[in-house]
Amino acid sequence: MAGDLESSKALSGLLSGLAQDAFHGHPGITEELLRSQLYPEVPPEEFRPFLAKMRGILKSIASADMDFNQLEAFLTAQTKKQGGITSDQAAVISKFWKSHKTKIRESLMNQSRWDSGLRGLSWRVDGKSQSRHSAQIHTPVAIVELEIGKSGQDQL
Amino acid sequence: MLLDFQWKLGMAVSSDSCRSLKYPYVAVMLKVADESGQVKKKSFEMTIPQFQNFYRQFKEIAAVIETV
Repeated sequence: MAGDLESSKALSGLLSGLAQDAFHGHPGITEELLRSQLYPEVPPEEFRPFLAKMRGILKSIASADMDFNQLEAFLTAQTKKQGGITSDQAAVISKFWKSHKTKIRESLMNQSRWDSGLRGLSWRVDGKSQSRHSAQIHTPVAIVELEIGKSGQDQL
Repeated sequence: MLLDFQWKLGMAVSSDSCRSLKYPYVAVMLKVADESGQVKKKSFEMTIPQFQNFYRQFKEIAAVIETV
């Protein structure tokens, strides 16, 4: 029961799943999927608040873009709270954030880009020759093709 | 044909999904005229690495144009 909720390996998997859902926009990661894959022995009504707690912690850490000092302080406070986390769980969360921080930050940055991005750039330089009306011959011209568009976001 | 090139260096400080964003970006506004003379405005955003690549390409163009 409680023993299952304390499994480090399962928690690691859970955090990955939560990150995929909350930050990387991976569809279909439901509460039931996570529970059946990682905590099959835990009943849904017990799993739900546990999941919410872990999601809340992960979101707080990501939202504040915590450095390692802030992370330590934050997780320590969580272990001291009523209904908080164990120090083993704190260690798993800490390890997870340290290895996934950069990728999560990148996803959060992407989420906040609503304007079009630069998807591609190609160019060509022509040496132009004009022989009829213009006295200008051999005026080089750079032709640049920019591919501008929304990167991977849903279009309305 | 490129009529105007405007740029802005911005810093996204915070957003609803991330309170501490600290994300610098370059926003560009281009004014171009097509063959019929119609003027269009296009804007887009680049991350700093993307901008560095953008800048490198234009540096290359400038170098090539010198040699033509």
